[in-house]
Amino acid sequence: MNSLWRGGLALILASAGQFLLTRYLPGLGESVDLFTILVVYYAVTRRQMSVMLIGTSAGLIEDVFTHAILGVNAFKKTLVGYLMGTLGSVFMLNQPLPRLGILFAATLLEAFTEVGLYLILGQHAVLPSAGTLIRQGIGNGIWGALIFWLVAKMD
Amino acid sequence: MSKSLSQRRPLLLLAGLLSLLLILMSYQVRTGEGDTVLEKALLNAAGPLVRAGSGSLAALADFWHSYAYLRGTRQENIQLRARLAQMEELGRQGEEFRLENGRLREMLGLQKDLQLPSVAAQVLTLGSSGQARMALINRGSLHGVRHNMAVVNRQGVVGRVISVGRSVAKVQLLIDPSSGVAGIFQRTRGQGMVLGMGERGCRMDYVSDLESVEVGDVVVTSGLDEIFPKGITLGVVRSVEEGDQLTKNIVIQPEVDFHRLEEVLVLLTLHEPEPELELGR
Repeated sequence: MNSLWRGGLALILASAGQFLLTRYLPGLGESVDLFTILVVYYAVTRRQMSVMLIGTSAGLIEDVFTHAILGVNAFKKTLVGYLMGTLGSVFMLNQPLPRLGILFAATLLEAFTEVGLYLILGQHAVLPSAGTLIRQGIGNGIWGALIFWLVAKMD
Repeated sequence: MSKSLSQRRPLLLLAGLLSLLLILMSYQVRTGEGDTVLEKALLNAAGPLVRAGSGSLAALADFWHSYAYLRGTRQENIQLRARLAQMEELGRQGEEFRLENGRLREMLGLQKDLQLPSVAAQVLTLGSSGQARMALINRGSLHGVRHNMAVVNRQGVVGRVISVGRSVAKVQLLIDPSSGVAGIFQRTRGQGMVLGMGERGCRMDYVSDLESVEVGDVVVTSGLDEIFPKGITLGVVRSVEEGDQLTKNIVIQPEVDFHRLEEVLVLLTLHEPEPELELGR
């Protein structure tokens, strides 16, 4: 399967998974962003160009369903993809702990990027509480590390 | 030279993508319209998929539950257990129908109370990404839903329609940080603007320090935003503090439980902007 199809399939799976989570397990759905996990997975395993394209696509899909301004998620996921990809090319991130760390960092970076974007666009911005950020960071970290492990087993 | 260009390619792509996205976002902010051509196209393309996916995923979940429930039972009890499971499922479905019936009756009551043309809709997904709080409903332009229409339920204001596809629409919830609704205290008639704060509920801005506000005061829509009709419940005052600019800091607890939204009512009325009067005529 070529990388384009793989990417498309990954996006469909992430969309369906996120939809299921928010619908049937809303508490978990708020703590886990499968699109972020997908982008970080690409960042640590693929080249930067693919990471950015998957980040933009994932963000746009997320924007259509969950955002008032089309492009906010796409912007932050593209940026996070690029930065995490850069980190991934410098450091070894093939162990669970560093991966958990990079997922946590990606979650924080996304939150701050969104607040920054809102301010740049002259919109009302609310920084999520520290508790929410930590919960989301840990949620993405644990679920992401688990998904990375599962995908590595399947490959 | 070419090596340097190939090295810079990711950075150029990043700059290109981010610039395009910034232009896209600034356009929406400038025009105040959520549904750009791109968003409309994406929503129309994804709408039927979500509707179909919603049904098939529910069927898949039911199938999985049945499978998990029956797995491991003894061979001789399979038929009896299956029958029992069916009866239980019927009972659960009956209970579900009863609850749904109650909710729909409430909707019907609300429809009659409001005396405004409206359409009932089911919430397909509740989305929260970062700060945003949105819902996707199963009614779109085919059912008369338009941009900026108010969405309510029995508890009060749910949000407003910000993007419309043919059979689905995106609703910006009251607690979304970009949301703003003109509010009025039911007790004192003091006015202000209710703004979303995500998971923390809402806050009410532009309320003078001289205004008498108490914890527990009910806030309803004032109708001044020309989106929501006057008198629909927004929430209850949770805390009041003195602000630093001659205004109060007021936190509002919305009446609507945004984690458990299932059925909503879209008010099919739009306040048309009044024609501008020309002076001297």
